[in-house]
Amino acid sequence: MKHKLFLLGFLLCSTIAVTAAELKVDQIIEKANLASFYAGENGRSDARMIIVDAKGNKQLRQFVIYRQDVVEDGKDNGDQNFLVVFSRPADVRGTVFLVHKKAGSDDDRWLYLPALDLEKRISASDNRTSFVGANFFYEDVSGRHPAADEHQLVSETDQYYVIKSTPKAPAEVEFVSYELNIDKQTFLPMKIAYSNQAGEVYRQVEVVEVAIVQGHPTVMKSKVSDLRSNGYTLLEFRRPSYDVEMADGMFTTRSLRNPPK
Amino acid sequence: MQKQITQFVLRKPKLIFFMLLLLTAVTAALIPMIQIDTDPENMLSEDQVSRQFHNQVKARFNLHDMIVVGAVSEHEQGIYNQSSLTALHAITEQVIQITGVIDYDLMSLSTVDNISQVNDEQLSGGGIRFEWLMKEPPVNDKQAAELAAKVARLPLLQNTLVSADQKAASIYVPIADKNESHRIATTIQSIIDDTASDDEYHITGLPVAEDTFGYQMFIQMGISAPLAGLMIFVMLWYFFRNFKFIAAPMIVAMVTVITVMGTMIGMGYTVHIMSSMIAIFLMPIAVVDSVHIMSDFVERYHDDEDRAGVIGRVVADLFKPMLFTSVTSAIGFFSLMLTPIPPVQIFGAFVGGGILLAFILTILFIPAYLIVLKPSSLAGLKQLHHSESALSALIKKLGGLGLAHSKSVLFFFLLTLAISVWGIMKIQINDNPVRWFKADHPIRVADQVLNAHFAGTYDAYLVLEADVKAIEQDFKAVLEAEFVSMPWFEQAKSTYSEANGGLAERLNELLFWAEDQLFAVDEDEAAGLDQLISVIEQTVSDINVFKSPPHLAYVAALQQGLQNSGWVGKSNSLADLVKTVKRELQGGGQDAYQLPQSQSGVAQTLLQYQSSHRPQDLWHFVSQDYTSTVIWVQLASGDNQDMSRVVDYMREFTETNPPPENISVQWAGKAYLNKVWQEQMVAGMGMSLISAFVVVFVMMVVLFRSLLFGLLAMLPLTLTISFIYGLIGWVGKDYDMPIAVLSALTLGLSVDFAIHFLQRARDIHATTNDFQATMVQMFEEPAAAISKNAMVIAIGFTPLLLAPLVPYITVGVFLASIMAVSALVTLVMLPAVLNLLKTWAFRSES
Repeated sequence: MKHKLFLLGFLLCSTIAVTAAELKVDQIIEKANLASFYAGENGRSDARMIIVDAKGNKQLRQFVIYRQDVVEDGKDNGDQNFLVVFSRPADVRGTVFLVHKKAGSDDDRWLYLPALDLEKRISASDNRTSFVGANFFYEDVSGRHPAADEHQLVSETDQYYVIKSTPKAPAEVEFVSYELNIDKQTFLPMKIAYSNQAGEVYRQVEVVEVAIVQGHPTVMKSKVSDLRSNGYTLLEFRRPSYDVEMADGMFTTRSLRNPPK
Repeated sequence: MQKQITQFVLRKPKLIFFMLLLLTAVTAALIPMIQIDTDPENMLSEDQVSRQFHNQVKARFNLHDMIVVGAVSEHEQGIYNQSSLTALHAITEQVIQITGVIDYDLMSLSTVDNISQVNDEQLSGGGIRFEWLMKEPPVNDKQAAELAAKVARLPLLQNTLVSADQKAASIYVPIADKNESHRIATTIQSIIDDTASDDEYHITGLPVAEDTFGYQMFIQMGISAPLAGLMIFVMLWYFFRNFKFIAAPMIVAMVTVITVMGTMIGMGYTVHIMSSMIAIFLMPIAVVDSVHIMSDFVERYHDDEDRAGVIGRVVADLFKPMLFTSVTSAIGFFSLMLTPIPPVQIFGAFVGGGILLAFILTILFIPAYLIVLKPSSLAGLKQLHHSESALSALIKKLGGLGLAHSKSVLFFFLLTLAISVWGIMKIQINDNPVRWFKADHPIRVADQVLNAHFAGTYDAYLVLEADVKAIEQDFKAVLEAEFVSMPWFEQAKSTYSEANGGLAERLNELLFWAEDQLFAVDEDEAAGLDQLISVIEQTVSDINVFKSPPHLAYVAALQQGLQNSGWVGKSNSLADLVKTVKRELQGGGQDAYQLPQSQSGVAQTLLQYQSSHRPQDLWHFVSQDYTSTVIWVQLASGDNQDMSRVVDYMREFTETNPPPENISVQWAGKAYLNKVWQEQMVAGMGMSLISAFVVVFVMMVVLFRSLLFGLLAMLPLTLTISFIYGLIGWVGKDYDMPIAVLSALTLGLSVDFAIHFLQRARDIHATTNDFQATMVQMFEEPAAAISKNAMVIAIGFTPLLLAPLVPYITVGVFLASIMAVSALVTLVMLPAVLNLLKTWAFRSES
């Protein structure tokens, strides 16, 4: 009996492995996108960013990030809402970003600055601007649309799918291509390396620590390095949780002035 | 002792030749280690306070050396037309790719961000947009014109990236290593050449100027020094008409130059603009002693029987005056070591040492050479009669003038002195490294064109720093007083004191620690931690001095002061940046262009600025802990004088408008450093001139054993130097680096004539005992020898006139004229003064 069970387990495992190997590249990317940005129906986490420059100067950003998948007519079309509430440095406390991410079009963004009592729509020409001075881009935080790039499976190792992605609209981005190492088990992209025109890797996003939270493999610590200036940013998540209770209207502009406590 | 040396040399000439060859070979082998140094910064020693501060500022604000590329368009829309901007865009794209260019810091219309209002229908109430200013070149002239409106709203870019008259645009190319600027500038030039554009492109910036200067310096050394050798050779040929004979002084000159340069390079000194002139200085000076020996040898050499005897007597007679003139010349150069300018010190030390070496080589080599020459080689020398040349006839007339009209001549010289002193008072002290190039050099042209359009391509930094020691002490006191009873106190204390970095970073570490603890402790302790966290946050806020509106208002006031000085084209600061972002956040109206009212307002405005494509630009204006900020000052002139005016104006400004408490205001930047070293040099040159004067005067009194003769010896050179510097004052030529250096060293050179004249006059008077007879004899051979040597030195320096760089030309012109004038003054003034003072001057002898 034991042997049979073992055999069954073995068979099951190998079936999964075979299936995975045969996954088409777009499916891998889709799974990676889901694993990175869509775990659970919603989620919240404390986050701390430490921005370090080449000389070792450190800046701190601390915020809570709330996320909810938009479900319309019972369908999840990939749209998401984000609310980012800053707590540190103390002088930016209460600064809030609200993002309505649209899988099919440009995101809507709002900003609230308490010291100026200013609520403002932001029209971003692109999502590859710095996220509050960090080496992370907006797009690194909210996720780049998988459809924005052409993907190609370059190779497979025991651990990773290695995928090379090239932008469909090269003029909108600063990179020429990027290469992802997607973990075969968790489908989390463990490393993303961006190359410039000269074919040199100038920017790198790495996952440093992963934990299983409520069954979801969750990035707990990641690092973006600017290989040109030798600066980097560490992003640590604390107390992440999924499928939490969120108040109605939490992702509307009303939350800008009265963010959840 | 001298006799024994000469006897030894005459016995073993081959040993001397071998030693000389060995010395030359060893030192010549060191020359390939040559390292060129063209950095004007090195005019100050590395530990000089202003230089250290300048480099701290550069590091603190990540400021790189910049190559400036400028484009000037003749299009009716100015630079804002489709074709010009397309070319600018294409060039920028390629320049970014050049190795050694710091791509992320490059400033061009296509690499910077715009922040603007959007009145999109979808965005109710309007919004703001962050975007690349010119990601793609405009597709038509209308789009190009729209760009003009955008730039006009960005005070940090207007008149920096595009000129106020909209005719010119610039690209600021930061480079990692300024020694690469020549290569990078050359690559940029070829990119420009390969780009189709009707616009006129210029490349400038101090690193290019410096690197190009170094390149020219090599050419200069390669051309002028051999030319000087050739000039001297031709002159010696004119004097002696015997190739083998005149080879001797040429060998002395070559060995001296090679040995000195090789030793200097071997000792690890870099070749700076000053030391690149060592060869050309040493060459004429080195042959002077040989010329003395050889002239005298020619006079006394009649048949070959007693050649060794003649050589021995010649050297014995000339040893003392040659030693003295060499030592006085060397002192003139050594006195340069008293200036606080390292390249000038090195120059003085090695030329001074070279003069002494040339003297030793002359004493050792010339006798050895003369003794081995075949008799046939010396046969032609017997026909030479120096004292009967045309030059000599002129000199005799001059001498007659001095004697016949002594009082008038003296009056004339006194009048000249008075007018000269008046001229000296009018001297303008000024320098500008870009002016080291000739007026038609591309760098000078670029400098002129770009500064005519833009607010200025010369950078200076006005740096504000806060002293946060008091804040640090307060925090420590509070920590010790209020939290000592907490169980975690010791741990908190050690976390704080053991953390690396500045106060801000240690506070951050403590904050992280406190937050982590919050989850591990009970409620009472948590309350204490919360209190600690709020104390830390308050302290951080106190340190962030340049987030505070009153401090930024002072920065803005300083900028207004700079503008009012009238010498500043434009200044950029953190205050401008904050106001611009705040204006756009609050609707874009001009009334919103002001500082936020609270520190948090500033912080939140800056957080938006950091959400751009170039967040790192913020740190070019303020340090990450916000305790220091810099105002970029753009000057349209690199003249030290203009920088001095700004500095003086701002000193008065800060006296009447003192900075907030614990804030210091200091200058840095290249334009400022140039001013600093120039001031140091003026003071240092005064010091070295005075000390050389005193030392030479004392030596003269000792040599002549007479106070009167000591004073007489100093007369011609005093008049000469006053005259030359008076002339500079009257003509209006700037007193710059090369001119400053000339004062002390000409003193050492021009005293030689007076030594020879007075010594010979005394010797002759001792035998004739009659002043008139003495003077008649003086204007035979001695005067001829003096004028001959003056010519050797003056003409020896003339190849400098052909140099491609202005400082060399200046040195050439002035040295030649100083030599000529001082020989003239010696031969006219000394007879006149001696005539008036003969009863005292020759009392002891008669």
